[in-house]
Amino acid sequence: MRIDLLLNGRDATIEARADEMLIDALRREGLLSVRATCGLGVCGACTVLVDAEPISACLTLAPQVSGREVTTAEGLEDSDPVARAFAEAHAFQCGWCTPGFVLTAKALLAERPDPSDDEIARALGGNLCRCGSYLKISEAVRRCAS
Amino acid sequence: MDARVSGRARYAVDAERPGMLHAAFVRSPYPHARVTSIDASAVPRDCVVLLGEDVANLGPYGCQVKDQRVLADPARHIGDVVAGVAAASPGEAVAAAALVEVEYAELPAVFDPVDAMAPEAPRVHEAAARSADEAVSIGVRPIAGSNACHRFRIRHGDVARGFAAADVVVEQTFRAASAAHAPMEPHAALAEWEGSRLTLWTGTQTPFNTRADLAGMLSIPEESIRVIAPPMGGSFGAKTFVRLEALVACLARKARRPVKAVLDRADEFLTLNRHPAVVRVRIGARRDGALTAKEVDCWADTGAYADCGPGVATKMGYAGVGPYRIPDVRVDSLAVYTNLPPNGAFRGYGAMQSVWASERTMDILARELEISPLELRRRNLLRDGDEFATGEVMRDVHFEECLQAAADAVDYEADPRGKGLCVLLKGMQTPSRAAIAVERTPVGYVIRSASCEMGQGVRRSLQLLGAQMLGCEPGQIVVPDPDTDTSPFDTRTTSSRSTYMMGRALAEAVRDLRRGDGERGFGEIRNEGGLDPDTGQGVASTHWHQGAAAASVSVDEETGRIAVERLHAAVYAGRVVNRPGAELQNEGSMLMGLGAALFEGIDFADGQVTNANLSDYNLPAASDVPRLTHELLEREGAEVHGLGETAVPPVPAAIGNALASLDLDLTELPITAERVLAAVDARAARRAGLEARR
Amino acid sequence: MYVRAEPEWIAPRSVEDAVALRAERGDEATVLAGGTFLGILMNQRFLAPQALLALGAIEELRRIEVAGDELRLGAMVTHRSVERSPVVRERWPMLARAFSLVASPRVRNQATVGGVLADADYASDPPAALAALDARAVLRSPRGERALPIDELILGHYETSIEPDELLVAVRVPPHPRRAAYRKFRSRSVEDRPCVTVAAARGASGLRVVVGAVAATPQEFRELCDGSPAEVGARYAERIEPIADARGSAAYRRRVIAAEVRRAVESLEDVG
Repeated sequence: MRIDLLLNGRDATIEARADEMLIDALRREGLLSVRATCGLGVCGACTVLVDAEPISACLTLAPQVSGREVTTAEGLEDSDPVARAFAEAHAFQCGWCTPGFVLTAKALLAERPDPSDDEIARALGGNLCRCGSYLKISEAVRRCAS
Repeated sequence: MDARVSGRARYAVDAERPGMLHAAFVRSPYPHARVTSIDASAVPRDCVVLLGEDVANLGPYGCQVKDQRVLADPARHIGDVVAGVAAASPGEAVAAAALVEVEYAELPAVFDPVDAMAPEAPRVHEAAARSADEAVSIGVRPIAGSNACHRFRIRHGDVARGFAAADVVVEQTFRAASAAHAPMEPHAALAEWEGSRLTLWTGTQTPFNTRADLAGMLSIPEESIRVIAPPMGGSFGAKTFVRLEALVACLARKARRPVKAVLDRADEFLTLNRHPAVVRVRIGARRDGALTAKEVDCWADTGAYADCGPGVATKMGYAGVGPYRIPDVRVDSLAVYTNLPPNGAFRGYGAMQSVWASERTMDILARELEISPLELRRRNLLRDGDEFATGEVMRDVHFEECLQAAADAVDYEADPRGKGLCVLLKGMQTPSRAAIAVERTPVGYVIRSASCEMGQGVRRSLQLLGAQMLGCEPGQIVVPDPDTDTSPFDTRTTSSRSTYMMGRALAEAVRDLRRGDGERGFGEIRNEGGLDPDTGQGVASTHWHQGAAAASVSVDEETGRIAVERLHAAVYAGRVVNRPGAELQNEGSMLMGLGAALFEGIDFADGQVTNANLSDYNLPAASDVPRLTHELLEREGAEVHGLGETAVPPVPAAIGNALASLDLDLTELPITAERVLAAVDARAARRAGLEARR
Repeated sequence: MYVRAEPEWIAPRSVEDAVALRAERGDEATVLAGGTFLGILMNQRFLAPQALLALGAIEELRRIEVAGDELRLGAMVTHRSVERSPVVRERWPMLARAFSLVASPRVRNQATVGGVLADADYASDPPAALAALDARAVLRSPRGERALPIDELILGHYETSIEPDELLVAVRVPPHPRRAAYRKFRSRSVEDRPCVTVAAARGASGLRVVVGAVAATPQEFRELCDGSPAEVGARYAERIEPIADARGSAAYRRRVIAAEVRRAVESLEDVG
């Protein structure tokens, strides 16, 4: 079926089966920052923003985003302050989980511009990093706090 | 901006070739069974099926013991691949694989390495397989007629004499569960034939080993195989040696089209895991704390195939001795076959399991002697010029510094209650060889190295080192993906050796470039040594990885839940090349150690993994991070020291020792809340017993 | 051929239409609320729906309202909305807290009040919390409407009393008792599914204690709620037959139940 949405700031129409997960539809569009990892919504590597809120693209059926605004890491500007903070704080190792963390951090900072360490840990707890970059990731988020 | 942050990074999983098919595998549901019939007639005609008869003429492979075949018969573990299919889409491949009907005749199975050594235990491999003859062969020593594919021994001095001289002897047996590497990116490989030439794009740490094993398996020259290693979304040892490559190569050859395989998360748990181990430690000491003798017995469960189990058992064996001056030492470390999925390289390479046992036993000894655990270690730590149990003379030794730094970070000496320490040594792959090439380009240089990027930052380190040596900016240096056609030989990207070995090779290459026309240079470093597997004497490591950790914990005694209040690791780094990279490696290692300590363990029921997903198998999350600090010890003029793994092994032991300081004795990893609660009950019973006797 | 035909996507825009379609299709059309649980089942290939009855376009189901003294949560209200709602935080704080503890922000943005009840997953937080607050699930069909307490809605492991022609449209919660508490005990990672949860409330009708994540259904025994907090804890631990899973054995769960129930009940004592 055809699904109309706002994808990374531009009007888009994607073709997807009704039983297809958003992650597969987005990867077909070349948005490879959305990564299939756990299939259960626990790891966050497939995080995308839908109407500015993070969701798991591996648990969202493609038609569910009809008429909505979807943002992936590819939709962020080079000047994006959160992405820049991650780069400057070296808040990554292999990079697989990084797009998911950046988007989750953006959503957190939009709601809470000056989060406490506890709030950061709670907000990021659902994004797994097996390389163990959490300390520098928290540092990156703190750098963005106002 | 770094492509990893912008999301533009590409991994093995993203590899594509025109016309490619997707693979799915038929896996044995039994832990040990002969395949009595396979019927693939229901599989649609446009799919390609790989069956036993397609691969009957192919040779066995294996990095240290050649005991693996492309398709298994008998199947030796649940998940062993008995057939493969390739189809136009991943969904179609999975559907097609489900249509292959296989009949099995079950065989008796064994799931524990100690049980597997009993004379009546079922044999996992009937015939002992050939030892692999290659540069990193460690002189594999199978025990004929048993499930031990390798036994490593240290005979240093005479333990009978040593124990006789001891005033106090303690002994304890420890266990460590299996664990999943759980890299975020699953295993992925793509094979394409062009005539008799095979090209593979695969997430691997070992491109040259993989090429050699495939060449042997296919009976073709190594030069007709090209292995390209894109960056990996994590590996930690999971993506080593032949995993999917043989299967996709054979499917691609039959299909006459490229074939790609990507594992789903459940199958990751059936592919390669960490060696579960049983380690028994016996230590003798004089009243003043001087160690006189030590015995370490290890049973490393290597699963259905040896993989690098012999190497792991060896390293487990000598790491279990610890960084101590002990005149009389005996180590016997076995790599034992069982009908579990194969176990292989896992960050730490066996050290964690034996360091757990050894360092916990030191605290048991300290309690017996009524000496502080810190003081007991200080009295026995190796110093420059001391001989280790392998006969090596230790140089550039910093164990005391590391230990003191760790102790200070938790104010151990002020109050040791609820606090624990661990100090360790582990070795670096010896012997090994690393070669590197440098070429000038119009805008800078290209550095060709087979060191594989898995998040450890080796590419960046080479850019930084190259920039220093060549007098340019790091951004002017390009480091392409490893490619066996164009990258010079490297033993493999394991064992925290790349910055050290490649760094030295790079210095040679730059010297060569300067001596010549300034256009190109080549450098090669050989790291000689090795241990006699019968005596454990020789050179285990041309440089030692040294570190220590301290933990401070509190316990909810009604539920057994532990809170780690403080965790600190001090690692000797020699000279740091890429500081953020080194910090990330330390932090990542500590977090992996935390998972190993508290909640990571693969659960098996009759050989079946019962927690094969990332909800039932917990990985440390951001909200689990305790107050965690670390330091990198450096020394002026020192050489680079690998540190990608060093901070993993000491974390479980430090936490275990912290609990021991509260009289809670844990011997099994992971230290679950349930086990802690049992220890609380045991302590209460002991104290009640003591009370009753008063 | 051997790849299934694409399922039908049915997206009504009103509750009436949804109820009618549900009655017409019964269990042949899989109801899609947030999709977190359904997504897992589909990814693991346990379920391949022939038709999807998607409720996402029904605005009425997304409302949080207070009618009289009663809180009404539409079935499609997300966990995140409950967590953030000013009126729920102020007047039904234990509920806001219980919903806020579920999984991650990602899951909470997607999972719904109706979905979590209809899934009847033993380890979910909301069912026990809603039970302790005396909530009722509103089920609507062409035959009419009925409101079930949680213990009549959730019958067993992933099993509810929702009929094939019924749709769970709302949850009604009476006024919050004077004191209420929600505890979530994880035996491993902080992000793990719970080992034991306890929802406790002390109000006009006395003490209520509901233990979740330990059995197929939330466990409540009103007759055990007399006595000191420790006594209540001990009795609950003895009476419940806990399951064993990756988070703990049955015996271990018993120990934790005793401690966590006691702690929950203690936290309800007035602090003056």
